[in-house]
Formats: sequence, structure tokens, C-alpha cells
Amino acid sequence: MGESRGGGCCPPMDLMRSETMQLVQLIVPMESAHLTVSYLGDLGLVQFKDLNSEKSPFQRTYAAQIKRCGEMARKIRFFKDQMSKAGVIPKELLEKESDIDLDDVEVKLGELEAELVEINANNDKLQRSYNELMEYKLVLQKAGEFFSSAHRSATAQQREIESEDSQQAGDDLLESPLLQEEKSIDSSKQVKLGFLTGLVPREKSMVFERILFRATRGNIFIRQTVIEEPVIDPSSGEKAEKNVFVVFYSGERAKSKILKICEAFGANRYPFSEDLGKQAQMITEVSGRLSELKTTIDAGLGHRDILLQTIGDKFELWNLKVRKEKAIYHTLNMLSLDVTKKCLVAEGWSPVFASNEIQDALQRAAFDSNSQVGSIFQVLRTKESPPTYFRTNKFTSAIQEIVDAYGVAKYQEANPGVFTIVTFPFLFAVMFGDWGHGICILLATMYLILREKKLSSQKLGDIMEMAFGGRYVILMMSLFSIYTGLIYNEFFSIPYPLFAPSAYDCRDASCSEATTIGLIKVRDTYPFGLDPVWHGTRSELPFLNSLKMKMSILLGVSQMNLGIIMSYFNARFFKSSVNIWFQFIPQMIFLNSLFGYLSVLIIIKWCTGSQADLYHVMIYMFLSPTDELGENQLFPHQKTVQLVLLFLALVSVPCMLLPKPFILKKQHEARHQGQSYAPLDETDESLHVETTGGSHGHEEFEFSEIFVHQLIHTIEFVLGAVSNTASYLRLWALSLAHSELSSVFYEKVLLLAWGYNNVLILILGIMVFIFATVGVLLVMETLSAFLHALRLHWVEFQNKFYEGDGYKFAPFTFIFTANEDE
Amino acid sequence: MGFLITTLIFLVVGIIASLCVRICFSRGPSTNLLHLTLVITATICCWMMWAIVYIAQMNPLIVPILSETE
Repeated sequence: MGESRGGGCCPPMDLMRSETMQLVQLIVPMESAHLTVSYLGDLGLVQFKDLNSEKSPFQRTYAAQIKRCGEMARKIRFFKDQMSKAGVIPKELLEKESDIDLDDVEVKLGELEAELVEINANNDKLQRSYNELMEYKLVLQKAGEFFSSAHRSATAQQREIESEDSQQAGDDLLESPLLQEEKSIDSSKQVKLGFLTGLVPREKSMVFERILFRATRGNIFIRQTVIEEPVIDPSSGEKAEKNVFVVFYSGERAKSKILKICEAFGANRYPFSEDLGKQAQMITEVSGRLSELKTTIDAGLGHRDILLQTIGDKFELWNLKVRKEKAIYHTLNMLSLDVTKKCLVAEGWSPVFASNEIQDALQRAAFDSNSQVGSIFQVLRTKESPPTYFRTNKFTSAIQEIVDAYGVAKYQEANPGVFTIVTFPFLFAVMFGDWGHGICILLATMYLILREKKLSSQKLGDIMEMAFGGRYVILMMSLFSIYTGLIYNEFFSIPYPLFAPSAYDCRDASCSEATTIGLIKVRDTYPFGLDPVWHGTRSELPFLNSLKMKMSILLGVSQMNLGIIMSYFNARFFKSSVNIWFQFIPQMIFLNSLFGYLSVLIIIKWCTGSQADLYHVMIYMFLSPTDELGENQLFPHQKTVQLVLLFLALVSVPCMLLPKPFILKKQHEARHQGQSYAPLDETDESLHVETTGGSHGHEEFEFSEIFVHQLIHTIEFVLGAVSNTASYLRLWALSLAHSELSSVFYEKVLLLAWGYNNVLILILGIMVFIFATVGVLLVMETLSAFLHALRLHWVEFQNKFYEGDGYKFAPFTFIFTANEDE
Repeated sequence: MGFLITTLIFLVVGIIASLCVRICFSRGPSTNLLHLTLVITATICCWMMWAIVYIAQMNPLIVPILSETE
């Protein structure tokens, strides 16, 4: 914990500086260690330091437990996979489920996994047999057709032959119709013909035929029939196009060759008998077995679904438990084992305000685990820099994330987030100003906010996630946009005289010079915002550009001054008077004597209506400051004032650069008075109270490094004063772009469609107008203005005071993100 | 004249807003200070924007020149 710094100057403000953090040491007896870590995880306010960082993951105490948890997590992933394949959705986790024991869970998971694996294996086997039988059935049908058609043609021919030659014993020939040429065959010479039937994939069928032909030297006869629908292949489980084939061969050698070729092609063979009776018998048998198998498979699937349902009921509970246990064991691995092996020592950062809660949790854990000894809670002193912790609610957390995206604040330095909550939406609105568009965005974000509870538990897509997370920022942006829209007097680019009639009118009753010289101001200034007469006039752009540019400069100088004042608060808090006298004051003088003076001149010019040329004034203030101002004089004694300011600005630059390094050097020497030698390592003071990695007493001080650092800082500030001020002109540029786009869409789409007096074209025009407004203005312009407002904050505002090199407080907690998986 | 009156109106609105926030969301001194800071910042930003646009139109150097068609 750092020594008690400032804080006495101004009353403390939430969110302005990080919560005070302290390094605590907990000494926990072994038996209550697990429960202690679990309760501290529920509390979520301790960031544990890894005391075993030199050890590899396998050398740590609880490596076995983590392996166990890993195994269980694997089983849970397997279940999730199976459930999603079967379309079972796990039950939602209720808020308070009763606590369950990890060993029970392990046993249950093991049992269920074995059962599920067995069911799956059985299912696969059954499915395979089913597919084979289906194929067999197809073979029986097709080959049967083929044989019977051949038989029919044979009988037809037989009758022909018989009519010619009636003495033939034609019965044998009916059996082998393809051998009709061999009418009189010597039985000894009769060759034994065999045949094979089966299925071959269609894409391989031609190659199959050709190879069979070549392998058997053309001594086979093959017939193929196409199967119309694709068939499920038993080995691969996917549908494939197949053909039924019948191969007739003679001789054993040919048979073995054909068998091998069939295997190579993955052609499944099925037995087939020529006998018609047997064929019919086989078909009925196969059909019977098929329907049996179907019922068995369905029963198996039903059983599996029931199993998955039971798993689904408890799934989320088990999942959460396993992840919690894994996190607890990882944390336990970070604690170091005391010499006596009876207790564990933990070190961690926690906020000071949480001390009581932590001690409470320790006591409860000791009580619940029935341990003899309670845990010890001790605060350590250290020179290490603590993590930064801001307590944010749902409103401020979005802005704090935006600020943290640039850099996490150093411990206890001023948080720009405080002012960013207001100035960021404000600068966005300056660039967006249109109260019609503002209302649209307000409606959209009100929907998100009113549906907060429901949407926060759902899983949204990436873009919706970001929009939902920033809903309060967008709400502020829309409110400010409505305000600036009223000031710019733009409602989808149409101005309205809402507050009073316009201040301008014709010079005379005939209005003859309205288009040449213009109107004149007859009434009081329009009370709120821009006069509605300007829209559509020829001198609108020169007037608006001048107004908006000057407004940007004024807003920019104000924000930069605020930044420098924040650095003053930092200097006061950290009690660094050198920063006040030799950084804050010269910076204020430099910025304000140049750009503050420019702002004052702008205001004076507006108030007096003088025609002085401010460019000329500013440039010649530098080039020839002693010249007479003539018609550029805005107030008496202006020349003297300018000379004084110029002198102050020039003097403040070396003031920023030179004194600070020398003063720091003197301070460093005063601190280490008389220490000519580097001190020895503190041997007898090295109690284990002193933290690991603590800094040694003698700090490094390199004068040249400090001087160069200060030089860079000074140059950055001086040059940055000009470039940052110019950078604020983007407020003008984007606001001009927005109003011009909006004006174009209105005039060139809506008014054009209106002019045709045709309902269809009007509807088309309205559709195009809506799409263009939503797509370009509400989405693209919003993103663009968001980005530029962000840049103005990150660079121009924050580089005046923000260091941002801290690290964020990451407590051990059980709030897992939805997609965090191991 | 109009400038001063409207500035006073902004001031009054700012004070009313901080009182409302103090009454509705009172939550401890440091949080109250934060809320006060936010309300004051918002009021100042809004006032600045209005004041700039108002002052710029008080003594105009450019007058509106209507375009031909109207």
C-alpha cells in the first residue's frame, strides 16, 4: 500500500480516483483452504498473486485435482455435443440450486458417459445392419426382375424353337436361357456357370466393368441396373448412388479374381438364388427382419433421448460446478505451502473497504469446515504499485471501459471518466445536431433499456452486444443530440421557428433586394439557437462555417483548459509542488496567452460587431508585433496587451523545460544524503512479510534521461497547443457534413418525389428516404461522430494530464462470461 | 438583455436539476459530489453552446440573401 497521499485538499468524489487498495496476506489452514477460496470467489474482491510462478503446472500442489476437473469438463463437452446433435436443449439454471458434491458429480458423469457411449455403439451397429439389409432387398428385387425378364424372353424363344423343333428337351434350357445357342451339349464339356450379385457405386461402375472384363480376359458377362434413389451405404453411413450388378463367370480362378476386385471397389455382394420360390421367400424374410430392426433402432433412439433429457436437466448445474471447482483449484495452486505443510499462505490485492467482508468470509469458512484454527488476515506494506479499481454501476461502466481502452489509470491518478460521462455525448451531439435524428436514436435506445433484463440473459450477436453494452452512453448521446438539434434548428434538416419569429425581414415592403443584398435584422436576436431564416439562403454556408469554426475553437480551448486543470488536481493530490509551479502554471500561461486570447478576441468581435480580421491579428501578433493595428483594433491598448501576452508565452516555454530536471535532481540528492555507496541487500530484515519482487531502496536517477523526457514533454505541449486546437475543427467539419447530407436527402429525394404528384413515386421516394436516413445518417454518421468524439477525448483532452499506465484490478470471481470455455 | 435573462434561466435550471438529483438519488457524500459535478458540467456545456450561438447572431456581419427560386 502506498503511503497515505493527498486527499486532504478536496472532498473525495466517487470514481475520481481509484479505490484505496492494500496488499493482504492470508494464512489459511489446509482443511479450510478449499472453502475459503470458494467464499472469497463468491465475494469477488480479492486479486490473488501467483506465489508459485517459478513452478511448472505439473509441479504444483493441486495438479491432480485439476486433471480430474479437466476430465470431467471433457465429459461435459461430450454430453453437450451429443445433446446438440440430438436437438436437446439443457434446462436453464435457476438462481439458487442446492450445492452438490464434486465426487458425486464425477461418479455420475462417468456412469452416464459409459452408458451413452454404449448406446451409441449399439445404435451404429444396428444402423449398419439395417442399411445392409436394405441393400440386400434392393439386390433381390432388381436381380429378380432381371432374371425373370430373361426367363420370359427365354420362354418366348423356347416356344419358337419348339414350334420349329419339337423334340428338344427344353426344360433344361429354361433354367439357363442365356445358353440357348448351346442346344446340344455334351455333359462332360458343360462348363459350370456361377454368378455373383451385388451393388457397386455408380461412379465406379464403368471402371468396375472394364477391370472385370480385362481381369478375366473377357470371359464374364455382366449386367447392371440403375437404382433410382440413392442408397445409404452401410460402411460410411451416407447416401450414395449405386447400381445393382450381376456377373456371370466360369471357373474358380475367375471367381476369386472377381471377389478381390469387388472388395477393392467397395462393392457389397449378396447371395442370390436362381430359384423363384426361394427368391420370394428371401424377400419376405428380409422385409420381416427390416421391420424388426427398425423397431429396435427406434427403441434405441428413444432410450438415448430419455438419457439425454436426464442429462439435460442437470447439465447446467454440473457445468457450473466443474468450472467453479477448476477455478478454485487454479487459485489454490497460486498459494504457497508453508514450511510446516499445515497451512497455505495467500497474498493478494484487495480494496480497503472490503477488509471486513473478507475477514467475515474467512471466519465463515473456518467455521463451516470445522477446523481447529481460524485463518489469519494481515496487511502488508509494499512499494509495489497496486491495481486500479473503480466501483462502477451499469451507467458508468460503459464510459469507464471506453476510457480504459486507451489505458488503465495509474493507481490513484485522476480519472478522466468523470468528465467524459458528460463531455463525450456532448461533443458527439455537436457533430450530430439534428433533433429529428436524435429522437430516432432515443427511441431505439429506450427499447434496449426497457428490455434490459430480458436482453441481458440472452446471447446476442457481436454488434448487438456492443450496442447493448453501451445503451446508457447512447441514451446520453441522443438526449444531447436533441438539444443541439434544437440549437442548430434542424429537424431532418428542416428549420422551425419554434421559439419566436425570425429576426430578419426585408428592407422594404416590396422585398426587391432580398436576393441581391439580403434581409436585415429588424427584431431581437432569435432567442434559442439558430435563426430559421438561414436555411436555403445563399449566404448560409459562409455564416454557418464562421459560426461553427469559432464554436469549435471555443469548445476546444475550454476542454484543453479543463485537462490542464485536472493535472493541477493530480499534482496537488500527489503533493508534487514542482509539478504545480513548473508544469501547470507555464502550461496554463502558454495556452491561454495564445489560444485563450484568440477565444477572447472572438467573443469581443461578436459582441461589438467589429469587422476586424482575426487571422490577420493572430498572425501579425507573431510576425510584427509592434505594428499598428489600424482597422483590426478590437479594444483599446490592444497592441500593448498583445506584446505582454507574447512575452509571457515566450517566457513560459523555458519555464516548462529547464527548472524541473534540476529540482528533481536536487530532491533526489537530498533524499539520499550521505549515501555514497549502494546499500547492502537487506538480509536480516527479509522476513517473509516483505513481498516477493519488492523494490530495493536505492532508486535509479539518470539526469540525462529526465532532461530528455522533459524536453519531449515541452515540445509536445508547445506544438500540440497549435495542432490540438486545430484538431477541434473536426467538430465543425462533421457537423457540416451531417447537415449537408440530411439536406440533400430531404430535398433531392423527398421533395423530388413529392413534386411528381404520383402516389407510387411518392411511396418509392419515402422508402428511399427512410433507408438513406437510417443507413447513412443514423448508422454511419453516428459511428463516425462517435469515433471522432472519442479521438478528441483520448488525444486532445487526455494528453494534458493522463498517464494511463496502470493495470486493472482483476479479482477472483465466479462470474464466468457466457462463451468462456477453459 | 435577452442574453442575461436566458443565462439566468440556465442557472436556475441547473440549480433545480442538482436539487432534484440530490433528492432522488442521494447515496452518500462522495457519490453526491459526483452527481453534482455531472449536473454542473452538463449545464455549463449546454449554456456555452447556447451562448455562443446567441452572441454570434447579436451583431451579424453577414445577412441572409435569399436564393432565386423563392
